Amino acid sequence: MSVLSVRNLRVRYTAKGPEILKGIDFDVESDDFLAMIGPSGAGKSTLIRCVNRLVEPTDGQITLLGQDVRALNSRDLRGLRRNVGMIFQEFNLINRMSVMDNVLSGRLGYTSNIRSLFRHFPKEDISRALDYLDRVGLSDHINKRADELSGGQRQRVGIARALMQQPKLLLLDEPTSALDPKISREVMALIMKIAKELGVPALCNIHDVQLAKEFCNRIIGLQDGVKKFDGDTTTLRDSDLEDIYAMEVL
Amino acid sequence: MSVTDINTSDGLSLQTELRRKKQMKQLLIWGLFLLFAGWCVHGTIIADTDWSRIGGRNGVLASVGRYITIDWGLLPELIIPTIETFMMASVGTVLGCFFSLPVAWLGAANVTPSKAILYPLGRFLMVLSRSVHEIVWALIFVSAVGLGALPGILAIAMRSVGFISKITAEAIENIDAKPVEAIRATGGNEFQVMYYGILPQIYPVVLATVIFEWDINIRRSAVMGLVGAGGLGLLFFRQMNSFNYGGVTMVILAILLLIVLGEVISHYLRKAVI
Repeated sequence: MSVLSVRNLRVRYTAKGPEILKGIDFDVESDDFLAMIGPSGAGKSTLIRCVNRLVEPTDGQITLLGQDVRALNSRDLRGLRRNVGMIFQEFNLINRMSVMDNVLSGRLGYTSNIRSLFRHFPKEDISRALDYLDRVGLSDHINKRADELSGGQRQRVGIARALMQQPKLLLLDEPTSALDPKISREVMALIMKIAKELGVPALCNIHDVQLAKEFCNRIIGLQDGVKKFDGDTTTLRDSDLEDIYAMEVL
Repeated sequence: MSVTDINTSDGLSLQTELRRKKQMKQLLIWGLFLLFAGWCVHGTIIADTDWSRIGGRNGVLASVGRYITIDWGLLPELIIPTIETFMMASVGTVLGCFFSLPVAWLGAANVTPSKAILYPLGRFLMVLSRSVHEIVWALIFVSAVGLGALPGILAIAMRSVGFISKITAEAIENIDAKPVEAIRATGGNEFQVMYYGILPQIYPVVLATVIFEWDINIRRSAVMGLVGAGGLGLLFFRQMNSFNYGGVTMVILAILLLIVLGEVISHYLRKAVI
C-alpha cells in the first residue's frame, strides 16, 4: 500500500480566487524519493502543504499512512503531523534559540505543555538530538544560536529537527534553493543518505531539474496546477521538460 | 521648451504672480494662527486669573521663594514612602504585564481567536487603558479597595496595559510566519506554536517596552498619593496641607532622586536586553 495517495486534489485560497491545484493524482511508495518539479507558481508548495494540511484543500482525497487526512479533527491532525517531517526552503528555524533547542522542537508533538514551557525534554530526546546533530555534521555548533550559522548549516539543523520527529514521510519544500550549488548538492546528498538509512520515503519540491534527476527515483512535473508528467527519472525526456516549463519561456 | 521661452516677460510675470499668491497664503495662515493663540491666551490666562490675589511681582517671587528651603528633618520619614513608591511602580508594572498578555492576544489580528468580536474588544481595552488618566484610575480603585498602596498598584497596572499590550500586539502582527509554520508542522499545539514560534520573536521588543513602561510608572506612582493611593505623593500632599514648604521641596528631591535612579537602572537593563 502507498504511504501517501492523493486523488483529485483541488485548492482555492479564496472562494472566488483562481484554482491553484486543478485535480492532482499521485502516490508515494515506501521506497520513493520523489521529486516534484515545475515552474514557480505551478502549485508545488501548496501541494506539499496539503499533505499535512498546513493548507486546507478545497476538494479531493488525501490518504496518508492509512488515514483520511481531510477527515481528521485538530487533535488527530497534530498526531498525524508529528509523523511527517518537513524541511523548508528558508529553514524556518527559531533564530533566537540555540541549535539544540531548535532540534528538540521537532519533538513538540510528543511533548506536554508543561514540559515544553520549561523546555524540559526527556533524556532520550536529548541523546537522540545529539546523535542526529552528529549525523548532519553539526556537533561543534550545538550551543550556538541558530542565526549564527551559515545557510548550509541552518538547513542541516532543519534536517535534524525533521528527523527528531521519527517521521514516516519527509516533505521537502525546495530544501536547496536558498543555498549555493555546491552546498545544495551536499545537502541533497545528506537528506537522501539519511532517508535511505532510515527507510523513510520523501516528497521533494525542487525546481533544479539537474538535482532532481541526480537524486530522485521518480519525478512528477507540475504546471499551473495540472500534473504534466509522472514517471521514473529515467523516462523523463527533454520534450517532457519543455512541456512542463513551456509557460516559463514567456 | 527652450531657455528663451522661460525668460520671456510672460514667464516672469507668471512666476511673480505665483510667488505673491504663495506669500499671501502664508501670511493668512500665520495671521489666523496668531488670532487663535491670542484667543486662547485671553480665555485661559487673562480672563481666568485672579489678578488681585497675585499682588505684584514681589508677591509671586516671595511665594516661590518659600520653596527654596529644605526640611532635612523629614528625611527619616521619607525612606519608607520612597521604597513604597518604587515597589508600587514595580509590582504595578509586573501586574500590568500579566493583564497585557491576554489583551495583546485578543488584539493581534493574526492570532486573535475571533476577528469579529474579540479582536475589537482587545483593541477597545487598549484604548480604554490609555484614555483614562492614572489619577482617575487611582480614584476609582481608592473608592473600590480603600487607601494605601494596593489601589496605586492596580491603577498603575491598568494604565500600563494599554501601551504594553498595543506594542506586543503589533510585534505579534509583524512576526515572521515561517517558524510558526515549522512548529505547526511538527505537530505542536496552539500553546507550543505561541511559545516556540511567536514568543522568541517578540520578547526583545516586549521586554524593552516593559522596561520603558516601568520607568514611566515610577513617575506615575510618585503622584498616586495625591488621591490617597500611597507612596511619596501622600507625604507631598501632607506637607502641602501643613504649609511646610521646605518639606515639599524635600519630597520633590526624593522623587527626583528616585526617577534618576529608575532612569539609570532602565538604561542598563535596556542595554542588557538588546
